Amino acid sequence: MKHSTLYSMLVALVLCTFPLLSSAAKVGEAAPEFKGTASDGKMIRLSDYHGKYVVLEWHNNGCPYVGKHYNSGNMQRLQKRWTGEGVVWFTILSSAPHKQGYVTASEENDYMAKMHAVPTAALLDPTGEIGHLYEAKTSPQMFVINPQGVLIYDGAIDDKPTTDLNDVPGATNYVSVALEQAMAGKHVETPVTRPYGCSVKY
Amino acid sequence: MTRAGHQIIKNMPEGLCIKTRMQGRNPSSCLSRALTLGVTMLLCAASAQAAGTPIPHGTLELIAENQWIAAGRNLCFGLRFQLEKGWHIYWVNPGDSGEPPRVKWQLPAGLTAGAMEWPTPRRFEASSIVDFGYEDAVMLIVQLHAEPNLAAQQPIRISAGVRLLVCSHEMCIPGKAQLSLTLPIKSQPPPPDARSIDLFSATRKSLPRPVPGNWRFNVAEADDSFALTANLGHQITQAIFFPLAESQIENAAPQTLLPVAGGFRLRLRKSNQLLKPIERLKGVLVLSGDRAYLIDVPLSKPGAARGGYAIEIHTPQS
Repeated sequence: MKHSTLYSMLVALVLCTFPLLSSAAKVGEAAPEFKGTASDGKMIRLSDYHGKYVVLEWHNNGCPYVGKHYNSGNMQRLQKRWTGEGVVWFTILSSAPHKQGYVTASEENDYMAKMHAVPTAALLDPTGEIGHLYEAKTSPQMFVINPQGVLIYDGAIDDKPTTDLNDVPGATNYVSVALEQAMAGKHVETPVTRPYGCSVKY
Repeated sequence: MTRAGHQIIKNMPEGLCIKTRMQGRNPSSCLSRALTLGVTMLLCAASAQAAGTPIPHGTLELIAENQWIAAGRNLCFGLRFQLEKGWHIYWVNPGDSGEPPRVKWQLPAGLTAGAMEWPTPRRFEASSIVDFGYEDAVMLIVQLHAEPNLAAQQPIRISAGVRLLVCSHEMCIPGKAQLSLTLPIKSQPPPPDARSIDLFSATRKSLPRPVPGNWRFNVAEADDSFALTANLGHQITQAIFFPLAESQIENAAPQTLLPVAGGFRLRLRKSNQLLKPIERLKGVLVLSGDRAYLIDVPLSKPGAARGGYAIEIHTPQS
């Protein structure tokens, strides 16, 4: 009796601590399932997009690194190109209320209209649940999931970790390279990089 | 015209600060003393601000250690950042977010810049993110080398373009500054600049130092971590490792210290971004809160006797 109590306590402890200790999202493994509410009110579930490539883009409209990619039109070009090729693109906002980058659904819709952003959906994650699940550290941090639901890229948007708009042309875009290589049936050569940017404002 | 050694010198506020402090020694009422102190503080604050070029939430100043440049000699320059409370800049390895200040020197022929010397950083923790950097005030030191054939004619203008990121826990602001100062060239050895002397000596105390010759380090690799074992001849109860390279260790993971005879073993969780094996672990090791050392330890080959032999330590040149 005493043993079984101890055992169940131990199991409970392991179960409780496991999500904190494990690196939930790991390249080469199944991308963790999530659900969230999009700025257009739709409920989004990752598993509903099984069979498609999915890009996750961590976003904070006040971060100068995000500004570099939106003010140069780079992010919008990527969204347009890849959604045009059937890729699902989720912009994810994990800023907590009262922190930089936190917006309401209508503020996000206004921002996307103003910036001509065309992701499949913008997911509002003010509790940081999806962000912590993927251990997103910076904005913009990018993830690519293949049609089998396996995470194939985790890291920076490109190889120029600056806020300078002039660095956008000439940069190697890791997201595009990963998608091109995977779609050509090749091995993704650079599956993990150090994401750069502002810390996610959990 | 600028006085040798300083970018912009405001003699008046500095002089006034000293003068008012001296007046304070004369017999006077408490009120006037308080007023004098208040005025002094305001003037000092004003002079401190006026000394540097504005950057977001702070100032940046280029400072020479010596009064002039002498051909064939090295001369140290400092980039002194002063930041408002709550704002920070980044170390050479910024950690999980941010980026370090980047300097582009514009030097006349005959002068070359060496590597930047970075004082020991501190950790900035927010949620699951850990960054490395500096708050309040910090000076980065760079050594400039003057060629022996440097002609001793007109004063030389030293310029630096700096790009940097200044952050609080809430937001980040990119900034840039163009700094310059003009120094004469003389053949005699240059004496230190009176104002710079304290700044440089304080900064040098905050630089990590080479490890004593009798200390021995060893790094063993496990699946998910590195075990850094140190044999110092005495026990240590507190140690923090700052990796010089990005993406080697998980910055936010606890660094578990195990005291062992004559030293300690520190467990460092490998970064999820580390996909290729590393050959060496380089970084700054801060022991018991304040003493910081540069370490550069090759990884033990698998199968080698555990801690059985001494490993040579190379200190990085920067």
